[in-house]
Amino acid sequence: MSSETWDGDDESAAGRFVPLYVLVNGRTAPRDSTLDLATQVVALTVDTRRLEPEYLEIVRRCSGWISVAEIGAYLRLPLAIAKVMVDVLVEQGYLAVGTPAQQKIIDKHLLDQVIAGLERL
Amino acid sequence: MDRTSVKVVVAGGFGTGKTTLVASVSEIPPLTTEEILTEASLGVDDTTGVEGKTTTTVALDFGRITISPDVVLYLFGTPGQDRFWFMWDELAQGAVGAIVLVDTRRLDSSFPAVDYFERRGIPFITAVNRFFGECAYTEDEIRGALELDERVPLVWCDARDRESGKLALITLVRHAMARLRVRA
Ligand SMILES: Nc1nc2c(ncn2[C@@H]2O[C@H](COP(=O)(O)OP(=O)(O)O)[C@@H](O)[C@H]2O)c(=O)[nH]1
Ligand SMILES: [Mg+2]
Repeated sequence: MSSETWDGDDESAAGRFVPLYVLVNGRTAPRDSTLDLATQVVALTVDTRRLEPEYLEIVRRCSGWISVAEIGAYLRLPLAIAKVMVDVLVEQGYLAVGTPAQQKIIDKHLLDQVIAGLERL
Repeated sequence: MDRTSVKVVVAGGFGTGKTTLVASVSEIPPLTTEEILTEASLGVDDTTGVEGKTTTTVALDFGRITISPDVVLYLFGTPGQDRFWFMWDELAQGAVGAIVLVDTRRLDSSFPAVDYFERRGIPFITAVNRFFGECAYTEDEIRGALELDERVPLVWCDARDRESGKLALITLVRHAMARLRVRA
């Protein structure tokens, strides 16, 4: 298998090849297409005893609101995989989903809040 | 119970200070996550079965700013290489807009970013990272080189400085709001 590396900057060519079959439950994309890397999720109080360890680890990370990107970073899961796994957990009632970033219906009130928040920094 | 995400993209050529800016305004040290690039997204012909398909990964850094108990702003730095445009689409989706960092020693390295947001009608501002305090160009010269529309704000910044990063962010959000008003 060939391999190539690229570290996210142009100084070196990094990256490794990952077979697609590692993607979960035969899914390569989440069913909920609004599930974005900035979308936040939080664990619901339900019985997690039947969850596989990889899923349980995600639910444990979600004791407070956390984005899909953060889950990927902390658990070292590629985003595509984090997204599909989070989607499965949402569908099965383990996680609740927050409001995703959305340009089209972005309202003035929200942006006012953002400016006020930034000014307080 | 709800939590709203707001997204901002930090773009620009390699070495223009994207990671530095994210780090200076983020409340957590920047995190790195990887995205899988499929052959389709890289434009490779797909002739094999699922098991034979391979992908490569690209790393991206991001940070966060808690705006209020209900709202968190996420800042995503773009990967620097042009062949990863598909990643830009994912980052730009739903974003308030973008800050395009410009290094005056290599103005042209930020041109693809300006062009990308311009074409898609995504609100953006340019932030000229002065690095060593000196700048050989006037604002007009920079605007000319980047073919900037006169309505696109240009701010001078030091990506290492939190206040400077804050100012760039506030300028972007104000610009995005002004555009909303125009559209309505
Ligand atoms: N002097 C100076 N150096 C900077 C500034 N911004 C970034 N740098 C440095 O320039 C280099 C590239 O910055 P980085 O944030 O990694 O660029 P990126 O490739 O766009 O993420 C790093 O060594 C930074 O420390 C600045 O405003 N002034
Ligand atoms: Mg960087």
